[in-house]
Amino acid sequence: MQKSLILFMLLVSLGLSAQVTVDGTVTDGTEPLIGVSVQVPGTTSGTITDIDGRYELTVPEGGDSLAFSYIGFTTQTVAIGGRSTIDIELGESSQVLQEVVVVGYGIQQKDDLTGSVGVVESEQLTDIPTQSLGQSLQGKVSGLQIIPSSGAPGADAIFRIRGVGTLNNADPLFVVDGMILNDISFLNPQDVESVSVLKDASATAIYGSRGANGVIIITTKQGTGEGQLTLNAYTGTQEVVRQIDVLNASEYATLINEADVNEGRAPRFPNPEQYGEGTNWQDEIFQQAPIYNATLSFQGGNEESSFNLSANYYRQEGIIRGSAYDRFTTRLNNTRQVKDWLTVAGNLNLGYNTSDRINTGSVLATAYRADPISVPRDSAGNFGNASAIGNTGNPVASIFYTNDRAETYRAVGNTYADIRFLDGFTFRTNFGLDFVYDRSRNFVPAFFVSASQQNQENDINVRNAYRRNWLWENTLSYARDFGVHHVDGVLGITYQDNFGEEIGAGRQRVIGDDPSFYYLNSADPTTATNFNGVDGGDWGLTSYLGRVNYTYDGRYLITVSGRADGSSRFGANYKYGFFPSVGVGWNVSREAFWNDGGPISRLKLRASWGQTGNDRIGEYQYVPRVVSNTGAVFGGEPALLVGSTVTSLANPNLRWEETTQADVGMELGLLNNQFLLEVDLYRKFTSGVLFQAPIPDYLGADPAVRNVAEVLNRGLDLGANWRAGGDPFRYNIGVNASFVHNEVIALDGDTENFFGGALGVGGQLGTNSRVGSAVGSFYGYEAIGVFQNEEQLGQFPQLGNQQVGDIIYRDVNGDGNVTAAEDRVVLGSAIPDMTLGVNGSFSYSGLELSFDVTGQFGSEVVNAKQMARFGAYNFEDRWLERFTGEGTSNTIPRVTIAGQNFETLSSLYVEDASYIRLRNVTLGYRFSTDLTDRLRMQSLRVYVNGTNLVTSQDYSGYNPEIYNDSLFNNGIDQGTIYPIARTITAGIDITF
Amino acid sequence: MQTMKSLYQCLGLAVLLSASACSDVIDRTPQGQYTLENFFQNEEQAVQSVNAVYNQLRQWSTHVFSFIGMTDIVSDDSDKGSLVSDGFFLEEVDRFTHTATNVAPGTVWEGYYTGVFRANLAITRIPEVPEMDEDLRQRLIGEASFLRAYYYFNLVRWFGGVPLILDPFPQELQIARAPVDEVYAQIESDLRTAIESLPASYSGTDIGRVTSGTARGMLAKAALTRMDYEQAATRALEVINSGEYALYPDYAGIFTDAGENSSESLFEVQAAAFEIGGAGSQYNEVQGVRGTPNLGWGFNRPSDDLVSSFERGDPRREATILYVGEILPDGSGIVEGDPGIEGERFNQKAWVPDHPGGNGNGPGNIRILRYADVLLIAAEALNEIGRPEEALTYLNMVRERARGGANVLPDVTTTDQAELRQAVWRERRSELALEQHRWFDLVRTNRSFEVMKPLRPNFTENKNELFPIPQTEIDLSEGALVQNPGYN
Repeated sequence: MQKSLILFMLLVSLGLSAQVTVDGTVTDGTEPLIGVSVQVPGTTSGTITDIDGRYELTVPEGGDSLAFSYIGFTTQTVAIGGRSTIDIELGESSQVLQEVVVVGYGIQQKDDLTGSVGVVESEQLTDIPTQSLGQSLQGKVSGLQIIPSSGAPGADAIFRIRGVGTLNNADPLFVVDGMILNDISFLNPQDVESVSVLKDASATAIYGSRGANGVIIITTKQGTGEGQLTLNAYTGTQEVVRQIDVLNASEYATLINEADVNEGRAPRFPNPEQYGEGTNWQDEIFQQAPIYNATLSFQGGNEESSFNLSANYYRQEGIIRGSAYDRFTTRLNNTRQVKDWLTVAGNLNLGYNTSDRINTGSVLATAYRADPISVPRDSAGNFGNASAIGNTGNPVASIFYTNDRAETYRAVGNTYADIRFLDGFTFRTNFGLDFVYDRSRNFVPAFFVSASQQNQENDINVRNAYRRNWLWENTLSYARDFGVHHVDGVLGITYQDNFGEEIGAGRQRVIGDDPSFYYLNSADPTTATNFNGVDGGDWGLTSYLGRVNYTYDGRYLITVSGRADGSSRFGANYKYGFFPSVGVGWNVSREAFWNDGGPISRLKLRASWGQTGNDRIGEYQYVPRVVSNTGAVFGGEPALLVGSTVTSLANPNLRWEETTQADVGMELGLLNNQFLLEVDLYRKFTSGVLFQAPIPDYLGADPAVRNVAEVLNRGLDLGANWRAGGDPFRYNIGVNASFVHNEVIALDGDTENFFGGALGVGGQLGTNSRVGSAVGSFYGYEAIGVFQNEEQLGQFPQLGNQQVGDIIYRDVNGDGNVTAAEDRVVLGSAIPDMTLGVNGSFSYSGLELSFDVTGQFGSEVVNAKQMARFGAYNFEDRWLERFTGEGTSNTIPRVTIAGQNFETLSSLYVEDASYIRLRNVTLGYRFSTDLTDRLRMQSLRVYVNGTNLVTSQDYSGYNPEIYNDSLFNNGIDQGTIYPIARTITAGIDITF
Repeated sequence: MQTMKSLYQCLGLAVLLSASACSDVIDRTPQGQYTLENFFQNEEQAVQSVNAVYNQLRQWSTHVFSFIGMTDIVSDDSDKGSLVSDGFFLEEVDRFTHTATNVAPGTVWEGYYTGVFRANLAITRIPEVPEMDEDLRQRLIGEASFLRAYYYFNLVRWFGGVPLILDPFPQELQIARAPVDEVYAQIESDLRTAIESLPASYSGTDIGRVTSGTARGMLAKAALTRMDYEQAATRALEVINSGEYALYPDYAGIFTDAGENSSESLFEVQAAAFEIGGAGSQYNEVQGVRGTPNLGWGFNRPSDDLVSSFERGDPRREATILYVGEILPDGSGIVEGDPGIEGERFNQKAWVPDHPGGNGNGPGNIRILRYADVLLIAAEALNEIGRPEEALTYLNMVRERARGGANVLPDVTTTDQAELRQAVWRERRSELALEQHRWFDLVRTNRSFEVMKPLRPNFTENKNELFPIPQTEIDLSEGALVQNPGYN
């Protein structure tokens, strides 16, 4: 009834305006084609086909034909000829898979690429409910490892492309719509159209000094076709993926008693049984936490102009109480062809977010360590004193007394103008700006829980900071076909300038505890402290870049590129570096001799070589700087006089870190490209690795950044995809896998050892990047048993004053002594041998089921949180299996409060970090056009999603992927990283 | 065509503009800081560089937690204290079960070498400051030399031979341990430099800087440690005869606010509690009363052995130890017992009254070298070189002040060398208790085994006299450092 009414109205309007409406279905002969562009040539009228391949279009006066175009298919133009329904069958174009790929400073046909580039499209990005683009990329591209290092609300993921060359910041470079950025936390994944992951040097060398860790190019959505309004919303709940098994109260009391006896004290708990289960501190800090997201976007466009406007609100409460993240972003992309030779465009992203912060590390570590006998709060409501026995704080009190809120305002945008002239030349000038303004306000009330957990005067601290980063790029590009020859190229000059500054102050004795008093003026001015200085970087880059692509008949491809970079981070003699590359490709399946129509529908071979660099070190590292905060007190009336000294060494000979990468790749399509396979073998050699390597303390100052090592990564990236089925059942299975071998080739000064990774109580160095081993390999003793009796004490050599019940360490060189110098060995590495991603989707009519599985294999983790014992901390439940007398245990030693068995890194604390995780499952239903038409919608989809539902891992901690500040510390679990969450959400996507 | 031409001009202009406007993008000047290229240009900067050497004295890693652990707690004077399991690495030190990865040796190693670095920087750069008062230049070099000597003195006493680094930026990063003799030769040389270039006293805003007297006293102590009794006696007598120093009349008063920088003070680490912080130390906090009143963490518990070591009626026992139930020295409260602490008592010498900035902002100067110490050095050295009468004079000066007019602590009269030696040693223990001298006294007089073994069965002779070189340092030195015997 309603439908006919609409039809009637349409007819009426038709009559009035002399317009006609045409509908129909576009197929490839068997399946409907989704997203086919349908245009009325000579007008601005156009649309795209929906999920069922259907389109409906109002043809304005003067329109007499329709043009159907779709990537990979031949464009067809048909006369309307008075028809109201036109069904079209598009034929695949002779050039199969004419996928367009965004590369550095340009776009290319995927077939013409000589480099290794992984591409992810928008549909694949939004199936996981997350505000983080990184998390939505996990498992999607071979060679791209995404580490969900933290489950903190709003936290971004860690990106690693093709192993780890550098020891510092190994993040790839991010380029968003041409704007080069350090982080992309402001991006809403739903705004993203496509992501290109540039992996080899042929692709990355155009980014020169910053391409060594790979480049991720993000293109946000531009409007196309008829105006559209889209609403995406989901809501859900999160909980911690798992808890760490620690002792309950009576078990704890039993073990502490035992430790007391073992260490020569009287046992302190007369009746351990009486304490029962006691407090589960993890239950006390974790919570079920809601998550919400809503995005509203408007888009539209034609050949002359397009726009995309979106607004997003996201709220995530933390699975640790007291933490939360709220974000509001809005984005406007606008493109306009002003003249036939001039196009201007602008992209603007405005964001505002707030974070309620807690001291995550300390809260987690104390919840893990706190004795289960003490209580979060006693019967009178006072916080329990967890330091009385166990010498930890009370994590619940710590959360309660924290009032720390940070706000960030961020504007990221760029504008550019393209000027086309002569035949095939385009000059582009692009100016981008990233402006960040941070505010934080932290109030701590006066409180007393215990001697080690108290604040005697309340205090307020505020901080305001800004950072701005501008980029100006001028490029001249050229593209032209001469018969079978295709040539394109780009030349450019770019500048980037980054500066940031912070200012802050603090006072004590705030006049009230209410948030309305959280201002400096409400506190005692005599207690004022303040600070102001450079923060967030002071650096600049000047670059000259160029690239030429030549293609002969679509069969033979060559790319040559280079970039010269000058960086402010190096001293006068070492500022400039040059980074060249060359890539070649051969589209074998386009050769005349190739048997068209055979099972192999596509075959391409390619190879590349090139160099890239890395300058990501702090500022001014080439000159020793004098700090003036080392004052001393003097005088009969004491006064603090200024003291100035050097606290960090410097290195005037600092130079670029340089990565030389060679890559050979093959792309294979079978059965008319139902099956696609892409394989890349690479060798990535990094010399002059920049790192602030630890130096002996006897040198008296913090280490300088040095060019410390040569590191080799060689590996294999493999991506395969199978799609099959037709109407109504279709499915797609993709697998990608990466194998990396990481090895230190040489060390600065021809040394053999390269220590790092402080852990445990005494800060012993737990990693040694020895020549021949992986960077950041765990290094310690091999635990081969537990001294069972006095006889064994004589039988095996000892480390220090060992007793029965202590760990037997292997005397590796068999000299009858166990020594630090000669008996420590490599115990593992945090770098996985293999990472795996499997994704699949199945659809039957409107029902869709998709999943992602990710995993890593062949890596280890150091459970260092067990080793750091400054008091009678709780134990993990493996200590229930401890040695209590001959024959009781040959793996877990006797229990003590602390001491060598804990403090010394041995294989006892190294665990397997392999895991496989069902990262995502989504079940969705797309309603039929019958319904959506009635609701005047283009499409309507509802879904439920589960993230991190099931993980198979041996590791006893929350998550075996431990990412710390440097590679030396990776894989060392100090128990301070915000655990990841298991999330269940339900959502709806509506397009009008 | 005209349009095209002007377009080219525009493009050309844009390229030129961008090339010239941005040429300074990569030329940066460090913001808000001097660099070594433009510092050390005037007198004020020279002074600041030496102030930074003093700054390190006040730090956690130099004179606070681990320092107390490796001087008092390790000795027979005190136990770890505090809650049973708190600060467990110091319990290991107390029981001699510590290994090369213990926190304490690594902490002081870092703290003292940071001081050495800053001294080296000042000593090597101040001579090149273009224009400054020559006396001031020499004085500053003297101050930095003294402090370098002091830092090395504690290092060599804890660890034996250590890397002897005099250049702030050595070419080679792997540096072996210098022999003990060489370290002491440098200490003596630096102290002589200080003696020659430092004034006998300061006034006004310079009070608290080291003097020639400080350097003489420290040299006397170093010489005594080396059993160079002639030099120890000479240097101690120079201090005594300088007339700059006198015993503070009230023993307990030395450790109060009024007793700071008193007539008895040769060297104190200066600290002050300002509202805005930044000038205090945690020396007081770690030893402060734990629980009620809420003054600190309660470490460095006076041992039973110390309590019973005082002579009958020695008022110094009361002045040294703060008992549960005792009224605080300023009358502001009573120490209440904490059931979690065994045999609870505290170091009263580290007690400070209520002050701004919380417990962690302690105002108490850390007394490093007192005149009484110098008198006892003189007594010990003179006795060793056959001048017992003079030795007795100085020993009894200390006893006289200690007795505070009461009829206790009679003068020592023996001139028997062995007896007098024991008398001086006992006096040192009572006079200097919990002022972080005891362990060094035990080791230098070769008594650590006989004293500690009965109390701490784990004590291993020819091992525990020295602390282990931190394993981290051995690792990072690429094996240039060799571990002390017994620590593998």
